Amino acid sequence: METNWVAEHLQVIRTLMERSALYRRALAPIMLFVGALGLVTGAAGTILRLNTIRAYGCLWLGTAVVAVVDAFLIARRQALTAHEPFWSSPTRRVTQALLPPLTGGLLLSAVLTFSPSAIDFGFLVPVIWILFYGCALHAAGFFMQRGIRLFGWVFIAGACVLLGCVACSRDAFSIHSHLLMGFFFGVLHVAYGVYLYLTENRKNAA
Amino acid sequence: MNPEPFLQLDRVIHEKGRLAIMSMLAASAELSFTELRDALEMTDGNLTSHMRTLQEAGYVAVAKSYENNRPLTTCSLTAAGKKAFANYVDLLEQVLQQAKGK
Repeated sequence: METNWVAEHLQVIRTLMERSALYRRALAPIMLFVGALGLVTGAAGTILRLNTIRAYGCLWLGTAVVAVVDAFLIARRQALTAHEPFWSSPTRRVTQALLPPLTGGLLLSAVLTFSPSAIDFGFLVPVIWILFYGCALHAAGFFMQRGIRLFGWVFIAGACVLLGCVACSRDAFSIHSHLLMGFFFGVLHVAYGVYLYLTENRKNAA
Repeated sequence: MNPEPFLQLDRVIHEKGRLAIMSMLAASAELSFTELRDALEMTDGNLTSHMRTLQEAGYVAVAKSYENNRPLTTCSLTAAGKKAFANYVDLLEQVLQQAKGK
């Protein structure tokens, strides 16, 4: 009887300690970097008129890879500067939360971009990315400070509005898809990055 | 079973609410009063009462500051608090080990 009680007590302690260990690294530099990259890619795609579905998919998939790698490098540099382990328990949990929706979005958009039916459904790719990215942020937000979940909801709500717009005018939607991505992945990230830069506690730890 | 570890359990930490507070603070450099209250689903009064007990025991330090022109209360474990919490967990583990050894 007593040992059951002790085991439960230890389990409660373990659970609370895990829940308490939130990811607290400064997100402003990551948001600003991702936002700047989104703005540059959105502008480049529009100016260079990369309007075929494959060119569009390759451009933004490449951008996504660069953004993810650099976000990890920025977080790693922060950890090294703070003399803390990079692959800490909160970092691991945030990564685990991000992976399923990001992988789902990647696979679905890859199918829509490179399959023979790409012409018919390629216009859905930006909506899918925005939607799944919002879901990923929301999932990661359970292990981060509260604002991230709200930021995720902005993407999810935006994707829902866009789905409604697709039904109204599919052509206009296809033409402005670089601007759309530039707005969501550029403007919104820069805006959130500036907000975090002005409000974020300078001390950070993961 | 040797009852000794049970008798040594720290009464201040042993209470459910205070143990939860100590566990949360043990895994984090510091937490705000609001974060603790929301995570543990406690009322302001309940959390304040437990914090006072832990402060009186010298286990928790409370700092008041401002963030974005809003008052911010942050809580952290003191060195004595960390030691007491580690001892408490060690004692619980001892009890488990004893039971497994039988």
